[in-house]
Amino acid sequence: MENRRVAKGVVRGGQFEIEVDGRKVLAHEGETIGSALVAAGVRTFRQTPKQHHPRGMYCGIGLCYECAMIVNGVPNTRACQTLATPGCRVETQEGLGRWEGEQ
Amino acid sequence: MRESELLILGGGPAGMAAAIEAAKAGARVTMLDEDARPGGQIYRQFNAGFRVVDADVLGHDYERGQELLKEFATVAGQVEYLDEALVWGIAPENELDFLRQGESRSLRYRQLIIAVGAYDRPVPFPGWTLPGVFTAGGAQRLIKTQRVLPGERMLLAGTGPLQLAVANQIVEAGGTVAAIVEAGNIDTWMSLARGAWGQWALIADAWRYWSGIRKAGIPLWREHILVEVRGDGRVEEAVVARVDQEWRPVPGTARTLLVDTVCVGYGFVPSVELTRLGGCEHRYDPLLGGWLPVRGEQMETTTPNLYVAGDCGGVAGSFVAIEEGRIAGLAAARALGHLSADEARRRMEPSRERLAGLLRLRQALDEVSRPRPGLYELAKDDTIICRCEEITLGEIKAAMAEDIRDLNELKRMTRMGMGSCQGRMCGPAVQEIVARAKGIPPAEIAPLTPRPPIRPVPMTALAGHTELR
Repeated sequence: MENRRVAKGVVRGGQFEIEVDGRKVLAHEGETIGSALVAAGVRTFRQTPKQHHPRGMYCGIGLCYECAMIVNGVPNTRACQTLATPGCRVETQEGLGRWEGEQ
Repeated sequence: MRESELLILGGGPAGMAAAIEAAKAGARVTMLDEDARPGGQIYRQFNAGFRVVDADVLGHDYERGQELLKEFATVAGQVEYLDEALVWGIAPENELDFLRQGESRSLRYRQLIIAVGAYDRPVPFPGWTLPGVFTAGGAQRLIKTQRVLPGERMLLAGTGPLQLAVANQIVEAGGTVAAIVEAGNIDTWMSLARGAWGQWALIADAWRYWSGIRKAGIPLWREHILVEVRGDGRVEEAVVARVDQEWRPVPGTARTLLVDTVCVGYGFVPSVELTRLGGCEHRYDPLLGGWLPVRGEQMETTTPNLYVAGDCGGVAGSFVAIEEGRIAGLAAARALGHLSADEARRRMEPSRERLAGLLRLRQALDEVSRPRPGLYELAKDDTIICRCEEITLGEIKAAMAEDIRDLNELKRMTRMGMGSCQGRMCGPAVQEIVARAKGIPPAEIAPLTPRPPIRPVPMTALAGHTELR
């Protein structure tokens, strides 16, 4: 999927990489993890606990928790509210997710 | 424990306007905002990293936001702004709990203004949980202040002016809108135009959106509704159909569109979890978005020392929110003894006049965004209603066979509304679905009772909960 960043009107902050399920994804300073993923064409942010259905960003304002991902080992982190930082590790959340080091 | 003289929840237009008036009158204000910077959804500021080089591209809301933010900056010395604060509880005795920077804290207040806004009305239909379905408001946030297009080929579906605004923003950003699907009819559009008479700024906005959409050649299908979204793990196609006056699809009129993204906007729902937790009396008004707190002339609720301003008191948009905010700020300043009753009333006068001018527009918008019965008949038995707990319409119907009296019983039986969003995404629809099934007005069915914590709070934060010093 093509890059969906809009150039008009603004200049973006510095560019860096984040790691999403072990894959490098481009982000800019000021972007949320959710925006960086949407820009990269990523749709699925988590799989539901019961039916294992894919879910992605929905309300986009931090209320629905559909974009819950594991960020730097912390599950249930809202991708739409969390700023991307250089090298941050993002994982698609399976079900309720688990903490880093948890079996 | 720290006691704030005036505590304001929400840093959008209503909250900022309240802080401005109260601070000018001499009050010391504490503001808790969920975001990193004031502005709220409509006047959201860019995050650090972005630099605006051409404000014209960003639209009139951006300019208006800058004006209010500038006014807000003039009282910065009297306003303590606490960013990224999630309020999760209101306790008796003017006390409130919030989560910030991973820590949970309590704070006391003498006067409280709740100005937490509204959110896109969630409407369940087959396929609405597929990745690629966004709310119109969520899509707009991505485009406006993250400058990212939500998809490649987008369908906008719903009702009211927001989808025209979003479509125009997508076009101006260089994106592709396959079509705009508007459930309302020509009459409501005409009444909107009449109601806006005298509101030149808003007419200019609407005209700009309209001409942008026309110039781009985007089809606008009136009296049509989004019936279903399909795809293998993501949006691949959308089915739309013509509707009757009650928004029920007309058989034989369905057509399929190939799109990868759908933005859905059926108006807004006031955020009332905090006013309900605060014990305020509420009433159900479908024209203003559903449940909302009962208020007096000075934005006071039925709970002492608690005021409500803006969309969380009834959805009416940012212009109304600003004036309500000013009135609430003055009322709180008066209650704190910073103003005489006469002086407070005198300062409220310009806002009252502007509110009267906005009333007709508000009534027209209310009529346009009023959901018609067909909207809540789109879901099928296997459609998910509660996104968090994955509860289908079929499961809710089965529970309803047990003759439930309110949504809390339904919640106990099905787990609907028990997940991370705490019923924000399913509650408004279930209210209507249950009312229709029982054949009684939605107002007669008690909504889900919010219980603290109303937002997910890590156990580690709760374990270390202390007072704010």
